[in-house]
Amino acid sequence: MHDSNDVDELIRRRTQMEVPAEVEERLRGRLAEFRTRVEQRPPSRFFVGVPMLRVAALTATLLVLAAVGLVLIPRQSGGSRTYAAAAAQLRSAQSLEYTLVLNAEPYVAVDFSFLAPAYRRLNCSWGIEVRGDGSTGKQIVLFHGTRTYLTEGGKQVEAADLAEELRALPRTADEVLGERWTGGRKLVGYRLTKEPPDGSIPGLKALDVWIDSGTSEADHVDITVQEPGKPVHQMHIQNIRVNQEVNRALFDLTPPAGYSTIGAPAAGAPAVQAEIKQVDAMDAVVVPMQGSYLQTPAALQSVEDYLKKTGVTPAGPPLGRFWSEQHWEAGYPVPPGTQAEAPFQAVSMPAGLAASVVVKGPWAKDSGSRWSAFLKSVIEQGYLPDGPAMEIWTSEDGKPATQSTEMRIPVAKAK
Amino acid sequence: MTDRQREYERLITPIEDRMMRTVWRITRDPDGAEDAFQEALLTIWRRWDRILTHPNPQALILEISINAAHDVLRRKVRQGKWLQAGAVPEDIPDASASALQNLSSAEQDAQVLRAIGLLSKNQARAILMHAVEEIPYGEIATAMDCRESTVRKHVARARAKLRTLLSHLLPAVPKEETSHA
Repeated sequence: MHDSNDVDELIRRRTQMEVPAEVEERLRGRLAEFRTRVEQRPPSRFFVGVPMLRVAALTATLLVLAAVGLVLIPRQSGGSRTYAAAAAQLRSAQSLEYTLVLNAEPYVAVDFSFLAPAYRRLNCSWGIEVRGDGSTGKQIVLFHGTRTYLTEGGKQVEAADLAEELRALPRTADEVLGERWTGGRKLVGYRLTKEPPDGSIPGLKALDVWIDSGTSEADHVDITVQEPGKPVHQMHIQNIRVNQEVNRALFDLTPPAGYSTIGAPAAGAPAVQAEIKQVDAMDAVVVPMQGSYLQTPAALQSVEDYLKKTGVTPAGPPLGRFWSEQHWEAGYPVPPGTQAEAPFQAVSMPAGLAASVVVKGPWAKDSGSRWSAFLKSVIEQGYLPDGPAMEIWTSEDGKPATQSTEMRIPVAKAK
Repeated sequence: MTDRQREYERLITPIEDRMMRTVWRITRDPDGAEDAFQEALLTIWRRWDRILTHPNPQALILEISINAAHDVLRRKVRQGKWLQAGAVPEDIPDASASALQNLSSAEQDAQVLRAIGLLSKNQARAILMHAVEEIPYGEIATAMDCRESTVRKHVARARAKLRTLLSHLLPAVPKEETSHA
């Protein structure tokens, strides 16, 4: 008999939700794998016979299960946990450094500011990324820009920065590749075969992550890509260093021997002139976010709904502040003293020196190159970023034709 | 059809949808649901022979599914991973006349889940099987391998804790416990 209770009723009501089709598809995939395993399971005939046999059978069953566990289960349980732990460590990395070997041509991937031997730059776009340095608590400005190279043989290749792919590995692998011994260490391999949903690795055939079973950290990653009608492209990521003190030499802008310096940005790059100015303090209510910036409209909508519900009128257009893809926020300026309840936060941005420019055009269009040009302009004027990047989005009617973006970043005079 | 196929058809097929729904209702995020589901299937695999001979195998399977989902939920609550969409406020607001009206449906769902994430394993298993899956006490006891009176104690304690944590979502004058069944 089922009794009635207001607490029961509340949790029943609040947990009634149908499984989204996308989730159901994933879970059905797991069920299909499970069914196959069950069907391949050896028949069990232990639980028949006299009591003594039953005890013996129990013991035998335990032994069989242990054996099955040793042979089969690690591929799914301990194995998946090993992969999940390594992927989680990469996702939450405060610093991530690695060497990329692109079709057998090695160069340090943390900084694309210099040309790799045998490659010359075809299209340069300045890139900049502000990362927290876990060892000193300071922020580090990373330059990495050049993405398209032309080999000496005349072949054009893309040399993408793979940091974001490593930091966005899915929680489960598609296949287990087994074990491999190298230098006295046991590595366990996992394969991903699905292209990332953001299209960042088109034509992905396999992304193999090899994890050191002793440390549960990624040892190296092999990526094989082949887009239709194009040759196979192979990348090998090695010397992966996570959350370790960053080698300052990597930020030295003096080209190492055998490398040539970066020239001016490519023709056609947007001309953005940063204005260095004093900005007023600003209070805002924001929602902290992590993951894809595509969540921005939804995040702003949640803050807008919250402000409406609490009777607060925004004091200006929406804005976003960005430390990294793992740490950003979106919200609205509000009158000073406005409070907020979690998950929303009331934040105060102090007055101070900032670089700023307003660019017209659809909000997200060419964001990367705009920021590259903007930050290059900041640095050329003798300043360095001194806080998170901010965008303030305005529009007369919400349509792309009238949209404009103020890019703003706190700056300090370079020493 | 082999014996194993018949076993699967008998034990799992009839409750596949229910297993998925159970896990989703508690985890509410695709990755967490997949993790929990995978963990539940692994446990079922390990205990397959025991499940075959269990007096109520399907209640046991649901109990395993709930347990795995609750583990994921507890981890998320502990790690404070509720900052994204559907996040649960760190501090559950005080009860007030307007609190309920001011909370969106999604926020209420999230607060309830967070509170469930704060329950002990046994309390969560018992209350979820009883209140959400509507499984009778006797069958829950069989699945949890304990006495029926123990299940009732877990349910009562879970209710008391949830009542404290979620008082702002409950009617202003709390009802007396009416269950003496």
